[in-house]
Amino acid sequence: MSSPDRQALKRHLDLVGQLQPAYHQPNHAPFPDEIDHARYRALLRSPHDVGGEPDVPIPWEEKEEEQWELNTFATCECLAWRGVWTAEERRRRHNVDLGQTQYLSLPYYGRWLLGAARILVDKQCVTLTELVNKIDEVKKRYEQSSTR
Amino acid sequence: MSDNHKPAPMVDEISDFEVLEIAVRELAIEKGLFSADDHRRWTEYVHSVGPLPAGRLVAKAWLDPEFKKLAVTDGVKASLEVGVDWINSPPTKFGTPSDYCNLRVLEDTPRLKHVVVCTLCSCYPRPILGQSPEWYRTPNYRRRLVRWPRQVLSEFGLQLPEDMEIRVADSNQKTRYIVLPVRPAGTEGWSEDQLAEIVTRDCLIGVAVPKPGRKADDKRHVHPAVHPVHHDH
Repeated sequence: MSSPDRQALKRHLDLVGQLQPAYHQPNHAPFPDEIDHARYRALLRSPHDVGGEPDVPIPWEEKEEEQWELNTFATCECLAWRGVWTAEERRRRHNVDLGQTQYLSLPYYGRWLLGAARILVDKQCVTLTELVNKIDEVKKRYEQSSTR
Repeated sequence: MSDNHKPAPMVDEISDFEVLEIAVRELAIEKGLFSADDHRRWTEYVHSVGPLPAGRLVAKAWLDPEFKKLAVTDGVKASLEVGVDWINSPPTKFGTPSDYCNLRVLEDTPRLKHVVVCTLCSCYPRPILGQSPEWYRTPNYRRRLVRWPRQVLSEFGLQLPEDMEIRVADSNQKTRYIVLPVRPAGTEGWSEDQLAEIVTRDCLIGVAVPKPGRKADDKRHVHPAVHPVHHDH
């Protein structure tokens, strides 16, 4: 992609900002001839490519780490250490493939975690049934231990 | 989203993320994808990293022009002298899967200030700087720093003169950055230990500059964890 001048970049980012599917926009499954070059380029942008987007100042905050967040990081790195995925596959799953809504609405390590769950199923290391059963088992285990 | 629409934090319940984390980890171990010992060793490695070695690297570079030359030409090799082996410190012995092994040390001058971001994700030189701060990971920082760096830096309390050039380094999967700030006035004759103390994490990211007497980053609100990391393993 050639480097656009600032005005072109602003037009691109404005268009990207208008692309969120919404019922008030007639943009669902358009006719092919309705996609011009600018719209095509804006549609190809992936949700993690946020550099330069307009936003308002927010308070800068630190965060104490949750135990599950550290565990998730370790799990993801161990999966790469032992050759289940590469860091590039991991990034694609939790940055690019999630879609805008999940990308912006999940916590940082929530995205890592969903990516790890997805890779186990995608690579057929576990079946979806095994994953669902395991989730049920963990919930039951926790309910039992918290009612003791 | 206004604050009063946020769901109340769950305290006595196990969250969906906690359930899924346990499920994924246990399944991976049961299937032999990695071992419980691998996971424990990785966690120990994470506990062992932090910003101190990077601060030490800067202090050394301030004192030793030859070391500074090494630092700005080969950051990974210079890291060895502050105890960080990008290849062998992680339990893999081939580096961390996610950080690659390429550190660039960006030297500030009195007319040029560097600051680091990762617009596409939150790439960060973990082996020499530890885990990234929450604000560094926010889309907001990643959106705005590349476009309005002077304003964002001022929000961090760093007011730069108009004639100071700001260069924003956008990290990526293969290249990680730390900033080598200008040695501040008033530190003449200081030891390496004294100098290292004022080179905090925020100075190394570039959103602050070292000053005599400034030994910690500015106090910010800390969002508490529901079930914080316990360090007893």
